[in-house]
Formats: sequence, C-alpha cells, structure tokens
Amino acid sequence: MATTIEVRDLRKRYGRTLAVDRLSFTVAAGRVTGFVGPNGAGKSTTMRMILGLDAPDGGAALVGGRRYATLRTPLCEVGALLDAGAIHPSRRARDHLLWMAHSNGIPRRRVDTVLAMVGLESAARRRGGGFSLGMRQRLGIAAALLGDPPVLMFDEPVNGLDPEGIHWMRGLLRRLADEGRVVFVSSHLMSELEGSADHLIVIGRGRLIADTSVAQLLAAASQDLVVLRTVQRSEAMTALASHGATVAAINRDTVTVRGLPADRIAALLTERQLRFTELAPHRASLEEAYMDLTRDAVEFSTPDTPDASPVATEA
Amino acid sequence: MSQPTGRTGVEQTDRTGADQTFRDGQPSYRTTVRNARDGFGHLLGAEWTKLRSVRSSVWCLLATVLLTVLITPLISASSSTNANEAPHFTDQFTFVHQPMAGDGTVVARVSSQLNSQEWARAGLMIKQNTTAGSPYAAIMVTPRHGVRLQANFNTDIPGPDLGAPRWLRLTRSGAVITGSESTDGTTWHPVGTVRVGALAPTAEIGMFVASPPVLRVTKTSGGSSTSLVLSLGAATFDRVTIQPNAPQQLPGWSELMLNGGAGTKGAPPANVPSDGDGPFTAGDGPFTVHGAGDVAGYGIPSFPLGDDDIVVNSLSGVQLGLLAVIALGVLFAAGEYKTGMIRTTFAATPRRRRVLGAKAIVVGVAVFVAGLVASLIAFYVAQPVLRRHGYQPPAYPHPTLADGTVLRAVIGTALFLAVLAVFSLSVGVILKRSARAIALVVGLVLVPQIVASLVPSLGVANWINRLTPTAGLAIQHTRPRFDYAIAPWGGFAVLCGYAGVALVVAIWLVRRRDA
Repeated sequence: MATTIEVRDLRKRYGRTLAVDRLSFTVAAGRVTGFVGPNGAGKSTTMRMILGLDAPDGGAALVGGRRYATLRTPLCEVGALLDAGAIHPSRRARDHLLWMAHSNGIPRRRVDTVLAMVGLESAARRRGGGFSLGMRQRLGIAAALLGDPPVLMFDEPVNGLDPEGIHWMRGLLRRLADEGRVVFVSSHLMSELEGSADHLIVIGRGRLIADTSVAQLLAAASQDLVVLRTVQRSEAMTALASHGATVAAINRDTVTVRGLPADRIAALLTERQLRFTELAPHRASLEEAYMDLTRDAVEFSTPDTPDASPVATEA
Repeated sequence: MSQPTGRTGVEQTDRTGADQTFRDGQPSYRTTVRNARDGFGHLLGAEWTKLRSVRSSVWCLLATVLLTVLITPLISASSSTNANEAPHFTDQFTFVHQPMAGDGTVVARVSSQLNSQEWARAGLMIKQNTTAGSPYAAIMVTPRHGVRLQANFNTDIPGPDLGAPRWLRLTRSGAVITGSESTDGTTWHPVGTVRVGALAPTAEIGMFVASPPVLRVTKTSGGSSTSLVLSLGAATFDRVTIQPNAPQQLPGWSELMLNGGAGTKGAPPANVPSDGDGPFTAGDGPFTVHGAGDVAGYGIPSFPLGDDDIVVNSLSGVQLGLLAVIALGVLFAAGEYKTGMIRTTFAATPRRRRVLGAKAIVVGVAVFVAGLVASLIAFYVAQPVLRRHGYQPPAYPHPTLADGTVLRAVIGTALFLAVLAVFSLSVGVILKRSARAIALVVGLVLVPQIVASLVPSLGVANWINRLTPTAGLAIQHTRPRFDYAIAPWGGFAVLCGYAGVALVVAIWLVRRRDA
C-alpha cells in the first residue's frame, strides 16, 4: 500500500467556531508537502485529528489507509512534531526519547541514533528545561524520527530556528522526502517553505484553498506578466493598451503588462521607437503566488459565510 | 498586482523532479526498526521511565518515606500510659459459697441469666478463700460468649457457644479442676481442665454472678471521653448440689460481695441489692443472685488491655507522608497536561485506557514499595519510644510482625498509600490542573477529619470518618476501639471505592475528550 496521509471531508467544531470545514486532501510520499494557511486556519487541528488526538466531528483522517488509533506501533508508522515545548523541563533529553522508545518497543540504541541525527549527542544528558527553542525543535524532530517512520508530520518546525537551523531543517526535509517518505510540514508563513516544499496544501478558515504543486502555482501566478522599465512610461502604456494589453504602473519608470508576450511587446516598442531599459517575464515569488491565491479564494468563496474573509484582510 | 521581486521560484521549479519519483503503487519507505512491540509490559516500562526520570517524582517518593519516618518518634512520644501501674486483675463479684474440704463436685443448673453485658458471668467457682485476688477456677455461662472455663485471672478455655439454661459442673481432684456442661444434667461434656496450684485443702465453693461495667463514650466538640458505667448481672440457679468425696458437715450457703483488683478504681458496687446477706437457707434452690464487676485479668478476654492501639500510633506518621503521595499521583498525570506531553503520550499509544492503566500500576507499585519501606522503618523506630512511655506488657504486649493484624497494619499502610496514589492520579487526569487536583484530594483527606473531630455527635463523626478516603487508614487498626468507625478491610474498601470510581471516570473522560 502506498504511504499517504489522506484526509476526507474532515470537520471539527470547537464551540461556535468551525475549525476545520469539509477538508479533503491527500499527501503523497517522496516530496515535501507544505501545509499553509494563516494562524487559526485549522492546520494544527487537522494534524491533531490525523494523529487521533482530537476526534473529528465528521469525515476521516487516514494514515497509510488506516485510522491512526488502530496503529499498534504508531511511532514506527508516523512521526510527528506538534509542539516542541511539550517536554518535561526536568527530564533529560535521552530519557524523553527513552520512554517513547519503550512505549513502542523500539530498541534502546535507536535513541542514540536519532540524537546523533539531530546533533544532540552532547546534550543527551541535559534536562529539557534548559534547552533553547532550536534545541527543543531538534529534540522534537528526534522524537519524530525515533521509529524511523514512513510518514512524518511537523507543525511549524522552522519556528524559532536561527538561519543555520533553518538551513539544516530544509536539508533534513529534503533528505527525508528523497528517501520516499511522506513529509508534511505546516507553516503560517509561505516564505518559510520557499526552497523546501514541492507541493502545497493551502487552507483558510478550515477550508481547502489550493492543493497544487509549487511549480504549477508559480506558473499560474507568473502567467503572461511582463515587467517593463522605460522612461517613456505613458507613451508605452498607451501603445501597449491599444494592442489589447492590460498595463499597470508600478512606479515612475516601471509598468507590468498582461495579455501580450514579451517578444511582441519588444516588437511594438521598437516599432514606435520607444526606449526601454528592461523587459522581462515576471517570475512570481511563492509569497506573491500565495497572496494571489488566497485573494482569489476569498473572492470566489461560497456566499453562505458572508464574514468569511480572513485571508482577504491579510492579502 | 504582484511585485517583480521574487527569484526563488526558479529553485522551486527545479525541485519538481521529486514529484515524478514516487507514485502510488511504487514501493514506499519502510521503517528500519525491527521487532517494534506494543505490549503492556513495554507500556509499563515507558511509564516507569517517565516516573523515574523526573526529579519531582523521585523527591515525592523520598519525601513519603522521610516525612513518615521523621515524624514517627514525635508522634510516638506524644502519648504515654500508666496502664501497667493499675492492678493486673479485677476480682469483683457476688459469691454464694461454703467451704468444702478436699476433693468433690458441685453441680448446678443456671436456669436463667440476665443479658446485662456481653461478658456477664453466672456459674460455679472454687476459690482459695474469700480474699480478693486469691486463686480460683470457675465454669460459667455468658450471654454472648458461650460457656467458659476460667482460672487464676489469666486462663480462659472457651466451651460451646451456648448460654442459659445450662447445667454446669465443677470437679476438684487435688489441684486439678475439671469443668463440664450439660443440657439435661445427665449427659455431660467436659469443657476443660485447669490446674490451680495454690489451692488449700479446704476451699470455698459455690455460685457466682458478675457483670463487667459497660464502656460509655461521650462525644464532645473537639474530642470524646469515655466512662465505665456499672452493669448489674442477675442469674437464677437451681438443682444445686455439693458432693464432697470425704464425708463432712456442710455449713450452708452464705453470700459475699467481693470487691478487689482493678475494679476498686471504678464505681464500687455499693448499690448491688443484697439477696439477704449472711447465711442462705439450706436447700438446692432456686437461688437468684445479683452481682456486678468482673473476675478477670490479662489473658481473659473481658479484661481490657490498654486503651491505645500502639500499632496505629507507630504508623500514624503516614498522615504526613500521604501529602507527598498525593502530590506524586497528581503530578504524574496533571504534569503531562501542563507541558502538553499528554499528546506525545497518546500519539505514542493511542489506546488511552492502557496508558492510564499502566500509569496507575506504575505509580501504585512505586508508592507501595516506598510506603512499605516507610511503614517498616516507622514501625521499628516507634517501638522503643513507645516502651519508654509505658507501653509495656502485660497491658501492652509487644507487637510483632508475626501477628497477622500487625502485619496487616504494616503492609496495609503501604497499600493505603498505593491506592491513594491511584486516586490522586485519577483526579489529576480528571481535572488536568495540578494545583486544583492537589487541593481537592488534600481537602478530601483532611477536611472531613477536622470536621469529624469538631462535631459533638459520635454517630455523625463516625459516619464522616467512614465516608472519607482516610477511612482506608482503618487497615492499621489492630484492636477494637470505641472510636473506630469502620472495620480494617471495610475502611480500605472505601478508599478503593474512591480510587476505582475516579479511575473509571478518568478513563471515560480521557477516551472521549480531545487530548
């Protein structure tokens, strides 16, 4: 059976708040899947439901086709980092991993292996209370890797890491995915996932906004957009608009053009003897693509929740 | 419109090659960890690792022992007794007697006996002389404890559990006295034989009636007092015959009220109605005899040992040690909720009932071991202190672990702490907050005790003491006492009830609520 995380029509309500609203997606193995949405979008709730910690009000969350609660040695099937701070301050790092290993009958030596993997060998006998946030994240990653599971879930793993830690984390996520594992990483900042995620699941207010590969998302966001830099801005705008392009001024000497390919723009400008210093197809950043996406998602959102515009306020 | 700033998209696009690498149906990653198990033993190992790897848990276990042991000499030294200075016997009864020279037999039927006290006595006695404290042997019926053959304030041989009407027979053969009983005066069953070494050739022989005083407890606010209230026994004898082996002139009956021994300190039986002091009319009855007091000493069940339960005194340091146990039990559960580690726990073991079961067993066993160490040390530390304060035989025989009730008290103290730990753990799970849970359990343990000592009614106080978790401390009791509200195992069952209900509620909650 293929290793996947599968969420089907998942729903969860806390009091009057609908935290997760008919969410469905599948996370495939072999790539890093980012799970993105603003704070309060329902990412952590979804992850807790996948881990069987919170009971869904409807729908199902399956890991490798099974409900998490039915797994007998779950640490060997799914590794999760939910909250790096969830360690007892007076327990030594090694003991923290040791009790987890015991609970699933994982051999003791595996504890030292994962401590080495995250670079905490020297801190193994130190108590968790004295750990920096970065060290706690590493300990949490070690705990997730303890059972060498094919499915990994990390909730905001980059949070609080220094640049070196972020670099290490990206390399680790890549390596784990390249080994053929499911790597599911949440973040409320798209920029944190730049350079590591291959696929994105974007949610807002508990609903699915996009389930797309990063490449497709960027291509869509960059489509037909050309940046033109010219001192003869107004003449250029008039000329291009008369040929059916949508032109927008960015600043004194820059405009963006949509609706005409770059070579056609160049030909038109040359024909009118308008000088330009730069003409380039635009490559959107992931952040921009995300903004576009969430804005669209709000515009086209179903009208049954008139106040549902959390993304719009941010976009 | 988007700002033309990003360049990282190029890297992103390059990464998409990974998308093609793994598809459904292709072999996916398999764990390299071999032989992973989810056995309950592994779960116990996990919970034990959690317990021992946190300093506060280890401190709580140590504190349980230290608090219990360190307070013990103070508690033991806080009470003293002069029970052994009081006379070691009481010899207070009404005796209808006449001298008999040499061997012989006396027979009588106790046709009725008033149930004035469970240990009231009516029967036949042979006694050295009419001086209080002189050697004797007697066969008697009692309202609640059947036929008994007793001698010399220290020997008690129980016979059949039957009362009046009953035929009794006492036979002297030198220093050997044999007592028998019969339903009809024809078929006799021996009850036993005793040796009364110092018996003179001519001894007093006859009928006797006694009825020990009744213990009355008065509960006042903040304490209770006890007093002994006179009870008056009465019995009717008929078919009385004396058959001396050697022919002799029998002088006839005379009645005497003896008043000696410990009973002299109590209410003197001045108001016992005399059935005509001096010589009785000759004949074989019926005689109605009234009497108060007791003929007993250490070794005879009706004679009270010292009031105090010195085993309880030795082990009451646990009342302080239990605070550490409550803290341990609560923190072992609520600590996980506080740090959020409960999610890691339930993610590692989704079968939450098993987690709670393992937690309860681990904390229970750890506390039992610590409690047993504390209880044994406290018991042995207390004994010399208690002896110095007057708790000596015969009023207070030395307690030993070979005695079943003492062993039950010592092991039971550890059991009490273990079950209290499980109760605290469950409350910790239910409330999730350590401060609230500790306050609740400590309150449940301490407040009823304080209230019970303040209410002026013994009945109410006893009910309060029966219904709190500390009723479990009744397992320390080694002797009956007027202020014991509940039987040893009964009290322990009350505590187990608390722990059981709390554990069931905790399991129910944990399974249905989000972690």
